[in-house]
Amino acid sequence: MISWIRQHWFAFGHAVRHLARPRSGFLLNVLVVAIALALPFAGLTVLENVRPVSEQLSIEPEISIFLALDTPREKAMALAPRIRRIVQDAQDGGESGDARRGGTRLEFVSREQALDRLKNRSGLADAVVALGSNPLPDAYVLKLSEFSGAADASDPSGIDAIAAQLGALPGVESVQVDSAWVKRLAALLHVLRIALGFLAATLGIVVIAVVFNTIRLQVMNQRDEIEVARLVGATDRFIYRPFYYAGALLGLCAGAVALGAVAAALHPLNDAIAEFARLYASEFRLAPLGLASTAALLGLSAALGLLGALFSVRRHLARLN
Amino acid sequence: MIEFQDVTKQYSKDAAALSGVTLSIAKGELIYLAGPSGAGKSTLLKMIAAIERPSSGSVQVNGQDIGKLKPSGLPYLRRNLGLILQQQRLLLDRNVLVNVMLPLVVGGATRADAEKRARAALDKVGLLDKALMMPQSLSGGEQQRASIARAIVNRPQIILADEPTANLDRASAARVLDALKAFHAVGVTCLISTHDEHILDAAGRVIYLDRGRVVDGWHDSATGGAA
Repeated sequence: MISWIRQHWFAFGHAVRHLARPRSGFLLNVLVVAIALALPFAGLTVLENVRPVSEQLSIEPEISIFLALDTPREKAMALAPRIRRIVQDAQDGGESGDARRGGTRLEFVSREQALDRLKNRSGLADAVVALGSNPLPDAYVLKLSEFSGAADASDPSGIDAIAAQLGALPGVESVQVDSAWVKRLAALLHVLRIALGFLAATLGIVVIAVVFNTIRLQVMNQRDEIEVARLVGATDRFIYRPFYYAGALLGLCAGAVALGAVAAALHPLNDAIAEFARLYASEFRLAPLGLASTAALLGLSAALGLLGALFSVRRHLARLN
Repeated sequence: MIEFQDVTKQYSKDAAALSGVTLSIAKGELIYLAGPSGAGKSTLLKMIAAIERPSSGSVQVNGQDIGKLKPSGLPYLRRNLGLILQQQRLLLDRNVLVNVMLPLVVGGATRADAEKRARAALDKVGLLDKALMMPQSLSGGEQQRASIARAIVNRPQIILADEPTANLDRASAARVLDALKAFHAVGVTCLISTHDEHILDAAGRVIYLDRGRVVDGWHDSATGGAA
């Protein structure tokens, strides 16, 4: 065990000494690999920041039914069965059986509750107080989760049909389908995630190719040393190991530089985002990746470097045999 | 210890480096492989180190058949051999001490132990005072002695020296040969190839090669040189 550690320590030191040589081109290679890694790392940082926001937003189809301001509370409350009936009819028009009895939920939001929520959510408490009287109407919120009738949750035209019927009810001022944009955002994020995956895979191959070539040059430069080592009884593992460490170190350093560059770029970017978010009364900021994600990306960078070195060493040292 | 049985090495259809070589070398012998350039001396030494494999016949070193040796077994064979090549093949970007330590390091020795033994080996070849010098700053003879130190640092059972005195002046050649004979004196089997008949002496057995064949297996250089 001690001998094994000693051999690895020797290989690590050997790799560091070679990479630290002025003409090894290590810094340039780190820069090239870091540029390739920075793009997917930046994309991942943005997605990681947007993900919690998108998860907080409901992607259930949701219809808000706003009543006229002068609608009496009793009349407002009496609308509930009629709303349920409209939804039920829409469901009956679609599939039959238990699947039709979806998880449709109807919530009455009184104008007082709405005002309280407005105060608490938006940080506009002072502005609301300044209004004097409550300008908000009573409303119903209809959530169509697991809805599977003619107006399927994934079928915007079906939901629009329900909205039209609800809008025709007496005392209803307006009807708003709330969740379409959230679904679009979720779909967009999904597409972006897939695109980022392709980008990461492509640039991962670039990283492997760069490390492959770097190690190839090292093998060529150290050809004499490798041959002498073989003549004095070095095993293949002894010869390969420093190159593996060199590849992993190259990947690791490049990963660290890429993460540093992305973190540094967040500062000016956040200034612009803060301006934008303020318009929506939001405090949204792009934060650097967490410790676990950072460690995982550094590990991935090192693994890509190791993989490039592995391919290169196997291919080029085999030729020297 | 070393057995060649009807060994042929064919690099191409027309050129045989060795043809039907059969010979036996016992433990502790001093062997001079003599013959003109291209006689097959280097090929014979390379076969013992498994750098080359026989086209036919068998080469046995310490009971191991070189032709059947797996690549994974090569390092362990070579750790029992001390190789001294015509071109010293010292690593020019490392000092002499580090060069001599190399066989010990690849074998897993600690740095302290490797350095101690490398210094002892350099002392034996008279180069201890130049341990920290770079190889380029040594003379040809000194570089050859440094490569001898590297070859013997692992206390090998067999030393294979391929033209160790080539390109050296007489005084340097004599020092190199003296160093090799000193190891033979303590029981190490030494094979020294040379095309220079002047270095042959009665201390060793001479195997004369010509065009890949052994033409005079038992040659007493004291009675008239290689035949």
